[in-house]
Order: sequence, then C-alpha cells, then structure tokens
Amino acid sequence: MKVLVVEDEQGLAESITEYMVKDGYICETAATFREAEEKIHLYTYDCVIVDLTLPDGNGFQIIEALKKLIATTGVIIISARNALEDKLKGLEIGSDDYLTKPFHLSELNARVKSLMRRRQFGGHTEIRFQEIAVVPHTRKVFVTGQLTTLSRKEYDLLLYFLSNVDVALTKASIAEHLWGDNIDSADSFDMVYSHIKNLRRKLLEKGSADYVQSIYGIGYKFSQF
Amino acid sequence: MKLLNKTNRIYLAFSLVIYLLTAIAFYQIIRLVIYDEVENRLRVEKRDFQAYVRAHNTWSNIPYFVENKIEITPVNSNSTRQEEFSDTLILNRYDNELSPFRQLTFYQSIQGVVHRVEIRKSLLQTYRLIEVMTLAMMLFLGLLLVGTFWFQNKLSGRLWHPFYDTLSRIKGFDLSSGTSLALEKPEITEFRELNDVLQKMADKMQQDYRSLKEFTENASHEMQTPLALINAKVEQLIQNEQLTEIQTHWVESIYHASRRISRLNQGLLLLAKIENKQFNDSQSIDLSSLLSGKLTDMEEVLTFKKLSVNIQIIASFDVVLPQTLADILVTNLVNNAIKHNQTAGQIELVSTADQLYLSNTGGVLKSSPERLFERFKKESASPDSVGLGLSIIRQIGDSYGLTISYEETNGIHRFCLERVVR
Repeated sequence: MKVLVVEDEQGLAESITEYMVKDGYICETAATFREAEEKIHLYTYDCVIVDLTLPDGNGFQIIEALKKLIATTGVIIISARNALEDKLKGLEIGSDDYLTKPFHLSELNARVKSLMRRRQFGGHTEIRFQEIAVVPHTRKVFVTGQLTTLSRKEYDLLLYFLSNVDVALTKASIAEHLWGDNIDSADSFDMVYSHIKNLRRKLLEKGSADYVQSIYGIGYKFSQF
Repeated sequence: MKLLNKTNRIYLAFSLVIYLLTAIAFYQIIRLVIYDEVENRLRVEKRDFQAYVRAHNTWSNIPYFVENKIEITPVNSNSTRQEEFSDTLILNRYDNELSPFRQLTFYQSIQGVVHRVEIRKSLLQTYRLIEVMTLAMMLFLGLLLVGTFWFQNKLSGRLWHPFYDTLSRIKGFDLSSGTSLALEKPEITEFRELNDVLQKMADKMQQDYRSLKEFTENASHEMQTPLALINAKVEQLIQNEQLTEIQTHWVESIYHASRRISRLNQGLLLLAKIENKQFNDSQSIDLSSLLSGKLTDMEEVLTFKKLSVNIQIIASFDVVLPQTLADILVTNLVNNAIKHNQTAGQIELVSTADQLYLSNTGGVLKSSPERLFERFKKESASPDSVGLGLSIIRQIGDSYGLTISYEETNGIHRFCLERVVR
C-alpha cells in the first residue's frame, strides 16, 4: 500500500509518515507543489494525503492532475482552512475526505484505512484481529464466529480501535471520532468511558480476550498484550 | 420620491403659478389699455358736448351724437360735481340684451340749470377683443408650458441617466463576489467625478475585504499548522511506553493546552469571519426543526447525563441564515444547554412563529446574564470552555437580524430568539 503525503510542514509530514509506516504502509513525502506533481507523474499511489496550501501552489491543482492520471487513487485533504466552500470544492473535484487541522493521527489513519477498504474491495473485505472479525459493508461483528450485536457507537469505536491497533489513543481523539469536532469536553470523556466499558463487556461475553488496555491519564490502547 | 419626479413636480407647480400670474397680468394690461382708450374718447366727446353747449347754450338730441348714448337729467345744485367713470349695463334696443358700457358722468349747467350728463360708449367690441386675446394668450402660454415641461422631462431624464446607471450598478455590487465594480465614464464632469470616487472607494473596499479574508485564512493556516504539528508530536510521544507517570501527566497537559488553543483560534476566526460577512449563502432555515434534530443527535449525551427533553413546536421558527452558521448557532445553543445542565435536569424547546425558547435547568447564575455574551466571559472556570460559544451566538444574531436574549430565574436558564423587526 503506497501513500504520498503532500505537506510543507516538515515535522507534520514526518509524523504522518512515521505513523503510517508503523502500520505497514509505504510512505513518501513531497513538500512542494512541483515535487508532488513530479511524483504523481512518476509513480502510482493508492492514496494521496494533500495539504491545500503549499508554498508554490495549490493542493486543488494536484488533485485535479491526479484525477486525470489515475482516477482510482484515494485523496484525503488535510487543511487548516475549514471554510465550507473549500470542503465542497475538494469533494467536487474528486477528493474522498477532508480533515481540518489540527487532527489526530489516529483519526487520519482510520480515515485512510476506511478509504482503502472502500476503494479496493468495495468494503466487502473483512477486518480480522485474532478472534474478532468485522464485515464493514454489512456492519456486522463476529467474535469467535458468533454474531455480536453492537450499538452504532460501539461499532464505530471497535473499528477505530482496529484501524489503530497497538496505538495509544487519547480520550479526546476517541470522543471526536465518535461525536465529531464539537464534543471535546469533560462530559464526552465520561461517555467514552461508558462506551468502552460496554464494548469490552460485549466482546468478553462472546469469548474474546481483553484487548482494551487503559493508559493512565491518556486514554486507551487496543493491542494483544 | 425620485429626484426627477421631485424636480418635475416643483417645476410644474412653479410654472403654473407663473402661468396664472402672467395670464392675470396680461388680462389686466389689455383691459387697462382698452379702458384708457375708451375713456379718452369719452373725454373727447365730453369736450365736444361742452363746446356745443357753450355755442348754443342749449341741448337737443341732434344726430351729431350718432350713438345717441347721451343722457341728460337736471339735478339739484347741491349734488356732487365730480367727474367720474363707471361701468354699466344697458338694455340693447335691438336684441333686448344687456350690454356692457363705459360711462362718463359729469355735471354741466345748461341755461343756468345744473344737469347731470352721462356719455356712454359700448364695451362690447373691446370685450370681444379682451376675450380673444386672453384665450389666444392662454392657449399659447399653455402650449409653451406643456412643451417646456415635456422637454425638461426628456432632457433631465437624459442628463441624469448616468446617475441612475451608477445607482443601479452600485445596488447590484456584491463586495464578496470578487468581480469589481465597473462604472461608465459619463460626459458630465460631476457624474464622472462621482463615478471616479465611487470606483476608487469600491476598489479599496474590495481590496480591504480581500486582504482581510486572506488574513483570516492565512492566520488560520499559520496557527493551525504548528498546532497540528504539536498534536502529532504529542501523539507520537504518547506511543512511547517508557514514559513515567509524571511525564505522562506533562504530555497530557501539553496535549490539552494545544487543543484548547486550537479551539480558541477557530472560535476567534469564526467570529472574524461572521463580522466580515464572509458567509453569504443565506437561505430560509427552520431553526426549530434544526434544534430538535440536534437534540435528537445528542440523544446519547442526554441519556448519559440523564437529561429529559421536552419539545413543543407550535409553529416553525424560520430565519434567513447561511446553513453553516445555522448549524453552528444550533450546536452552540444545544452544547450550552447540555454543558451547563445538572444531572437529571431538563431541557425545554418551545417554538412559535415569532419566538424560540431553549431553556435548561442548571446552577444559579453568579454574574450578569448580559456579560456572558462577552468574549472570554464564562460562568465557571472550566477548562473545556474557551468562553466564545455565546459570543459566537450573539455575533450570528447581530449579523443576521436576530435578537438573542438570556435570562435566569431560580436555576432555569432561558435563551430567547426573536427576529429583529425592521
């Protein structure tokens, strides 16, 4: 799986790359418009993460050029601009998702994975982690082969964990993933806790091992010990 | 009233007055001239009469006075001897009609007896003359009046055309559209100067607007990018398992602080954008259904905080707002009602065609309700609130014709939204 990160802020590009590489992606970066343009003409990527404001050009132009070359490449815009017209324009010219800076790396990761699933298998592939299997296109969850009924938020939470296995997830990022940007408050952390408690209980009931670890003061981590 | 209508009306009123005055003056002058003429002739006849009486010392109705319009009556000597002119009507012998006459009355002694002598001259022909002249004059003056009025109307319509053209272009000018104001260069110096000034002003405004817009966008970008970097690095740091408990605590604080700055930054930028009127896709939005929809979306949060919701929509409350701002307004109101509520509290939404109330239970307010709309004013020192939510609500209201008031009585906090009556 090959990803191109077009971002002029070097530190951020590094962080994204590092995060993605850990998950088994091949990641390349481009810091300028020219560099990005050159790369999309030379190589084929499964997904391009593009910042709209670049020192020598506009991210929209890259997306337009990319869509002319290979229409199937997934595009995620990351931008500090959160104007509605930018979002609409982005989606109109063929991007698949729009994340406003600052975002959580785990959120970006979850969006990239979800995009890749939709793009490559039409969502028909299943996601496996030990005895847990999720079929995204029917939104069904099987634990040790048994169908497990989860609420919508519990399902979203599980998928978020599965997209970020072995990664410490902050409570804020979980809350924002489940409820959107406007929910970053003390109350939402309590709700996160109660959803995690329920999800954990349901998974354990069906015979799964306990994969959810809580990390003191920070949040949770989904991992096999 | 339009400028042209106004000037035309004034012009018309003024012309009518002048017209009437001229007509009256004209009539009077003609009358005066004719009377003078008639009176002169009457005086001549008087002299003839006196000469005759002096020569013959008697008077008879001899045919010398063809018109036979002379009447002599003996009077008492003590009556006035003043000579005077007067108008009189006399029955015409032939057609039995009263005809106007000018009469000269004087006193003359004939054979020692004072007689009153009245010499008359018919005014019939002169009256016709006055009539015909007055009529002709009125007709021509009237034609002149109508003609100049029509001409004036056409002329000023033409002269003022550039002005109206400029006016309609300014009306159609949209600051945020990006197309600059294009004004013509009329021949008339004043209008050309006006257009030049307007053009300069519009260009300057547009440039300011653009640079302000760019500034907010750039500021947003320049601030959010480092924040994104901080967040990303902190998230990477969190992945490190060798962190001690105290280090974790520090990292957590950094993380929270950066999220807060980010929210603050977004809030301030949003306020600036609303102030600059950078949202311009206004449409009619049913706020009551948007609010009740938002409350439904937040059901989990409501259940978690054990809040009960009571929705009473008597009529929908429609406002004209950009969709994005309507969403922000509703989200902020609902978040506020949830955040400052108490466990097992209530939220009530009442909507009529003219008013919308959203009330919630909560603690008794310590500061003045009005002050809470100010930026960075908050009731509690809670770290999850940056104190901009209510300012944003107020700013949206101010910019789009909504009055938003807030009151608190016995722990019931109530927001009331009303349309501003213009």
